[in-house]
Amino acid sequence: MSRATIKDNEVDIVIGALRSDLTSFLNGWRSVFSQFHLIIVKDPDLKEELKIPDGFNLTVYTKTDIDQIVGSTALSFSGYSCRYFGFLVSKRKYIISIDDDCFPAKDNKGIFVDAMAQHIENLTTPATPFFFNTLYDPYREGADFVRGYPFSLRNGVDCALSCGLWLNLADLDAPTQALKPGLRNNHYVDAVLTVPRTTLMPVSGINIAFDREALGPALFPALKLAGEGKVRWETMEDIWCGMCVKVVCDHLGLGVKSGIPYVWRKDRGNAVESLKKEWEGVKLMEEIVPFFQSLSLSRTAATAEECVVEMATTVKQHLGTAHPVFGRAADSMVEWVRVWKAVGSKSS
Amino acid sequence: MAAESRPAPTPLLKDELDIVIPTIRNLDFLEMWRPFFQPYHLIIVQDGDPNKTIKVPEGFDYELYNRNDINRILGPKASCISFKDSACRCFGYMVSKKKYIYTIDDDCFVAKDPSGKDINALEQHIKNLLCPSTPFFFNTLYDPYRDGADFVRGYPFSLRDGAPTAVSHGLWLNIPDYDAPTQLVKPLERNTRYVDAVMTIPKGTLFPMCGMNLGFNRELIGPAMYFGLMGDGQPIGRYDDMWAGWCTKVICDHLGLGVKTGLPYIWHSKASNPFVNLRKEYKGIFWQEELIPFFQQVTLPKDCTTVQKCYIEISKQVKAKLGKVDDYFNKLADAMVTWIEAWDELNPAGAESALPNGPSK
Repeated sequence: MSRATIKDNEVDIVIGALRSDLTSFLNGWRSVFSQFHLIIVKDPDLKEELKIPDGFNLTVYTKTDIDQIVGSTALSFSGYSCRYFGFLVSKRKYIISIDDDCFPAKDNKGIFVDAMAQHIENLTTPATPFFFNTLYDPYREGADFVRGYPFSLRNGVDCALSCGLWLNLADLDAPTQALKPGLRNNHYVDAVLTVPRTTLMPVSGINIAFDREALGPALFPALKLAGEGKVRWETMEDIWCGMCVKVVCDHLGLGVKSGIPYVWRKDRGNAVESLKKEWEGVKLMEEIVPFFQSLSLSRTAATAEECVVEMATTVKQHLGTAHPVFGRAADSMVEWVRVWKAVGSKSS
Repeated sequence: MAAESRPAPTPLLKDELDIVIPTIRNLDFLEMWRPFFQPYHLIIVQDGDPNKTIKVPEGFDYELYNRNDINRILGPKASCISFKDSACRCFGYMVSKKKYIYTIDDDCFVAKDPSGKDINALEQHIKNLLCPSTPFFFNTLYDPYRDGADFVRGYPFSLRDGAPTAVSHGLWLNIPDYDAPTQLVKPLERNTRYVDAVMTIPKGTLFPMCGMNLGFNRELIGPAMYFGLMGDGQPIGRYDDMWAGWCTKVICDHLGLGVKTGLPYIWHSKASNPFVNLRKEYKGIFWQEELIPFFQQVTLPKDCTTVQKCYIEISKQVKAKLGKVDDYFNKLADAMVTWIEAWDELNPAGAESALPNGPSK
């Protein structure tokens, strides 16, 4: 399978800055980030000035920029949602986005993983959502399709979303981490695979990359928990967004991969404390999953935008009546598409 | 119970598991497996010339069936068991009286994990089969029941009990299980990547099931593990396990059972001749273009509540929809029915439905 060579100027790395001192974070990634353009979006709630080391090609956006560019809107870019503003103003084809408490991980041989290169590899090789390959990604060096894999499906489809993983502090929910406070993920699984069509999954926002041209506004800030906080245990926004994006990809015939690259996630926060806030999210998932499992989009929804708008209507009708949080999410989705159309640029 | 206590040792299950091995040559490979296999009962299915004596290494407890035995035991129904093809192994599943089956090819050896330690493949299969699967929602950290893993944020709690595991599909280092065209293009490619994961293949997704290193819960899914009509007198070969896998997955999805893939690895030592393989697979390569859409759209009615009922229903649909692809599928559909009849004769009353394993987490 030939691989597209993509230029560094086709990629934006978007970082949502939830802490002001980005020195160790950026220095930790320097060797891998320095060839790319970075978009740093400061959490509008953060009061302190950002501390950013020299030597990076970056553009920084703060609350002032957000207010000016987006204008009057009910959308909130607070906390982890600030990164979506970065997705909005990017002019590149591919976006890679990592939480600011993550660092390069080492693989099983003790070598640092170039997470950017792996995400780009995932996005520029086909995905195989229609049939499971037991040797995982057949396009990886040293692998292929196995016996019994139909030939007509071996071209695959474009991969639009690459979901990476985390060593050390895995993305577990608060109840799980609280129950097992010592549990750390030391398991480097050397695989990336396509999540099959119609299969839903929790897409964590901690370490992702996507094709902005293909998915456009399908990643959005919409579901805000009442007690949403500044640690992942206290959010569901990425999980909600990820369910929507998977449905969109399945509908549009695009692929979603999960697996490598890993990043190393720093210990932070207190799961027991967060438990009180995240419980709302845990309860909501019980409604969210059956809803998405039965969701299908109409044939006329041919672009990511149209899919999001249609989904928002369905969310409002079916989930919005039971829980206001879903009604608000649906409104945000519609508003996001409006803002995207007004502000979002085509790739240059 | 402490949440982070040391894991309990995996039970041996030596009285509940049979190892089924098809062979036409010899069983020398068993010497390497002795430390792991010796506690278990073996069912050897001898393919090819029944007059040849297959020597079983000393110290193993086994029963051996050659073609004469198969004909004697099944009578006219023996027609459903392939000859001159490892598909004949499914006879071993039928005559077993155990709850679990592990089947392995005679060119598969003990592999080493990245630390250099010998892999006890059987132990891993048992672990896989004894703990639940998660077919309804994908866990991005793979098998959440493994030590050191768990369900990720966003995984609904109501789905965390999982589903009973019916199949454990292991993988292979060294010679990968490629089809003939791929073998011809890449004769030197070896699988050297040890992927340290077990995962559930999601509901609604089909996969190519390889019979080289396979475990399953015979009580939950046994009758679906028919390896079809292959080999002598048949137009196709090397699709036996594929056929069983597609039927099995459709039935597992319908009955709410799980299929896992990944660990354990074995070391696959023998590369079969790609030109011979091409001749065997040739029709299959074209036919699978029809077979995959067929299996993807098979739906089973609600009253198919047992594996046998599901299987008979699939055989009807095979006849109705694939008969026109080739007359082979008419014969295969008949053979599927014969298989179920033979299964039920050899495994009377009580074999129809089994209580699923409870979740062990």
